[in-house]
Amino acid sequence: MDTPELNDYRAHLLDALDDQPRRAAEERPVFLQVLVNHERVGSINCAEPNPAFACTTKDRSIQHLEIRSESGVLLGGCVAPEAGQRNLRLPVGKGSLILSVQNHFDGGSLQLRYEGAPGWWSQVASAIGLPAGAPSTAAPKVPVWTMTTAFAQIVLAVGVVALLAERVPNWLGSEDRAHQVEEEMAARQSTQDQIDQVHRQLAQLVEAQSAAMAVSRGEQDRIAQLNTLVDTVARTQQKLSSQVVAVQEDLKTVKTDVAQEVQSGMRVAVSAVEADRDMVRQDLQSIKSVNETLIKQVALLESRNRELHARLALTSLEVAKANAAAPKPTVVAKNDPPKDTPVATAVPVSDAIREADRQAFMFWVAFQDGTTEKSIEELVQEINGIKKGPMKSGWYSVEVNLPHPEPPDRFLESVKRAKIVKSVVTSKAMPPAQ
Amino acid sequence: MTSKMPDGKAMRDGQIFSARLNNVVTTEREFDELVTKSLPELLDRATSQTKRFLRETNQWGDDITHEKLALRWGYELVERFVVFGRTEVPCRPFFLLDSLIAKSFSQPDPLCYHKELLTPVGRFLDGLASRAVVSRDALIALFYHFYGFSQAHVVKLLGFGQAESQRVYKNFERWRQSGWQRTMNETGLSLSEIEVLEQELRARPDHLNNEVDRLMPVLQSHYRKSEPEHYPCLSEQKWGQLFHDDYGHDYRVWHLAFCRDCFMEVADHRQAELSNGSKPQVNLHIHPLKKGGVLALFGGDRGGRQHGHTRAQRLSRTSA
Repeated sequence: MDTPELNDYRAHLLDALDDQPRRAAEERPVFLQVLVNHERVGSINCAEPNPAFACTTKDRSIQHLEIRSESGVLLGGCVAPEAGQRNLRLPVGKGSLILSVQNHFDGGSLQLRYEGAPGWWSQVASAIGLPAGAPSTAAPKVPVWTMTTAFAQIVLAVGVVALLAERVPNWLGSEDRAHQVEEEMAARQSTQDQIDQVHRQLAQLVEAQSAAMAVSRGEQDRIAQLNTLVDTVARTQQKLSSQVVAVQEDLKTVKTDVAQEVQSGMRVAVSAVEADRDMVRQDLQSIKSVNETLIKQVALLESRNRELHARLALTSLEVAKANAAAPKPTVVAKNDPPKDTPVATAVPVSDAIREADRQAFMFWVAFQDGTTEKSIEELVQEINGIKKGPMKSGWYSVEVNLPHPEPPDRFLESVKRAKIVKSVVTSKAMPPAQ
Repeated sequence: MTSKMPDGKAMRDGQIFSARLNNVVTTEREFDELVTKSLPELLDRATSQTKRFLRETNQWGDDITHEKLALRWGYELVERFVVFGRTEVPCRPFFLLDSLIAKSFSQPDPLCYHKELLTPVGRFLDGLASRAVVSRDALIALFYHFYGFSQAHVVKLLGFGQAESQRVYKNFERWRQSGWQRTMNETGLSLSEIEVLEQELRARPDHLNNEVDRLMPVLQSHYRKSEPEHYPCLSEQKWGQLFHDDYGHDYRVWHLAFCRDCFMEVADHRQAELSNGSKPQVNLHIHPLKKGGVLALFGGDRGGRQHGHTRAQRLSRTSA
C-alpha cells in the first residue's frame, strides 16, 4: 500500500528518527525516568547531590533499560544479557550515567548513579590538588548564580595563570618535591581505587557464589526428585513384570487344563464310538449268523418241501394206480370229460373226478441260455411234468398235475428257484409274446 | 530521504547501505554514521517485521490504519535500536535490529492492539496513553485530555506542594509547546482527522465522551500493565491516608492517570478542594490547554470546547 498520506507519515517518522540525537543532546538532565523492560520503575533527580537509583525485579531479568527525559526523549539505554552482569557508562547531557545490571534467570538488580560533568573550576582545583566537590554540586542548585560564578572562575583563573607565570621560575627548585607529593597522592588514590575495585569484585563474587549455590541446591533437589521418580518407575516396572509373569503362568495353566480336558473328552468320545462300533459289529455278526441260520433253514425247508412234493407226486401216482385197479362208474364223468388233458380219454369218470382233484396245470417256462435238453428233461421229470409240444420262441409248454391243496403260485415259485429256469408264465394256450 | 528519491543513484545508495548493515561495525562513530544514512532501510525492516508479527497473530488488515500502526511500532523499535546500538559495538546492525525486534515481540502482549482502537478517536487515545508511558508531560496531560483538568486542578487533585506544582506547570508548558504535536505526528493522526474529531466533539460531545468512557478500560488495561507491582489500586481509606500523610507523589500521578476507577474515587473524595462539588466525569479534549487557560471543572459542559474559546473555559493570568 503506497498512498501520499502513508508516505507523509513515513517521512515524519524518518525526520523524527533523524532528529533524535539532536533532541537528546538538547535535553537538560534534571529528572531522568528509568524504564525497565518498557515499564517505568522510577526516576532520578540529577539536581540532588549524589543522584542514584536502585531497583530489583523479580520473575523477569532486566532485558531492556531505557533512560528518558521527563518529556519522554530517549537519552540512553542498553540491552542486558538474561543472566550475568553488564556495566556501562552512558553519556547523558554533559554528565554521564553509570549503570550496573546484574541479572539472574529469575530476576535482576539495577544500580544507577549520575555523575555530572566537572566544572572548569573543579578541573583546575583537582589539577592543583584542592577539594572540588562542593562547587560542582552546588552549581546546579543555584542556577541564577551560574553566570556570575563562571565569570568569577574566569577572573580567578586569569589571576592564577598570571601568578603562575610570575612564580614558576621560583618554584623550579621545589618541582621534585611537588612531583613526589603528586606521585604519592596518585599512588594512594590508585591503591584506594584498587581496594574499592577488589571490594566490588568480592561483593559480586559473593553474589555470584550465592546464586550458584542456590542454583546448585535447586539442581540437587531436582536430581533427588528425579531419583525418587526413577525409583518409583523401577518399582512399577518390577511390579508390572511380575504381574506379566503371573499372567503368563496362569495362561499356561489354563492352556494345559484345557488341553487335558479336550484330550480326556476326545478319549471318552473315541472309546464310546469304538464301543458303539463293537456293539454294531456284534449286532451285525449276530444278524449275519441269524441270517445264515435262516438261509439254512429256508434251504432245508425248501429241500423238505421238494421232498414233500416228490412224495406227494408219488403218492398221487400210487393213488391213481390204486383207483385204476378198482374203477367206479360215474355218469357225470362220462358225459363231461376234460377236453385239454390227453389222459382224460383213457380214464373213466371216477378217475376224471380224481384227476380234476389233482389240478392239471399247464404253464410256459423259458430256460437260461446254454441250458442242455438233458437238464430240461431232468427238471421236467423232477416236477413230474410233461412237455406239451415243441419249443416255441424259447418257451416250453409244460403240464403238471398238482395236488389239490397246493396252490399253483407256490409251485411256480419253486420252479423259478431252479438255476436253469429263466422265466415262468401261466398262459394256457399261447406262449407269451417275445 | 534517500529511498524517496526516484533516481537510480538513491536506489544504489540504499543497496550499498543494506549491504553495509550486514557487515560488522567496529566503532561507535561508524555505527552512528551508518545508521544515520540507513534510517529508511532500518524503518522498513522493522515495519515489515511488525507486519509479519501482526499477520501471524491474526491482527492484520489490509488498510491504511494497519499500515500506519506497523510504521509507528517500527519507528519505536528503530528509535531504541539507534540508541541501544552504540553500546553493542562491535556488531552487525541488521542482526542487532532483528534480535532487538525478536526480543520485544517475544514478551507477553507486546503491542496494544484492539479493533476498536483503530478508529480516529481510538488512535488518538492510544497515542496519548502510549506516550504517557514514557513521558511525564503526556502523563500529566492525560488529566486534561480525559477529564478536562487544568494544571491548577491537577495540582489540587494530586495534593502537590510547591516544588511538585512547578513540575506540573512545566509539564503542561512543554506538552503545549511540542509534546502534543510530536505525539500526534508519531501516532499518524493527520490534521484533517484531528479536525474531524474536533467537529464531532462540537456536534455530539456526549456521544464522543461516551465512546471515550467505553474505550478507556481497554486502553488502560494494556498500558497500566507497565505499572510496577507495588502500584496496585487502593481502597478509599488508603487513598485518604496517603493524601493525609503526604507521601507517594509519584504513585498518585502514575496511578490516577491510568486508572479511571481510582481517579473517579479520589476526585470524588477530594472534590471539596477542587470545585463546586459536581461529580467528576469523562470530558474529552483534543488539543492541549492553551497558555493561561483554566477550565471550569465538573460543570455541565462536556465538550472540551476548543481550549480557551468557549464560555466553559475562563481565561486566567494567574496560571503559568
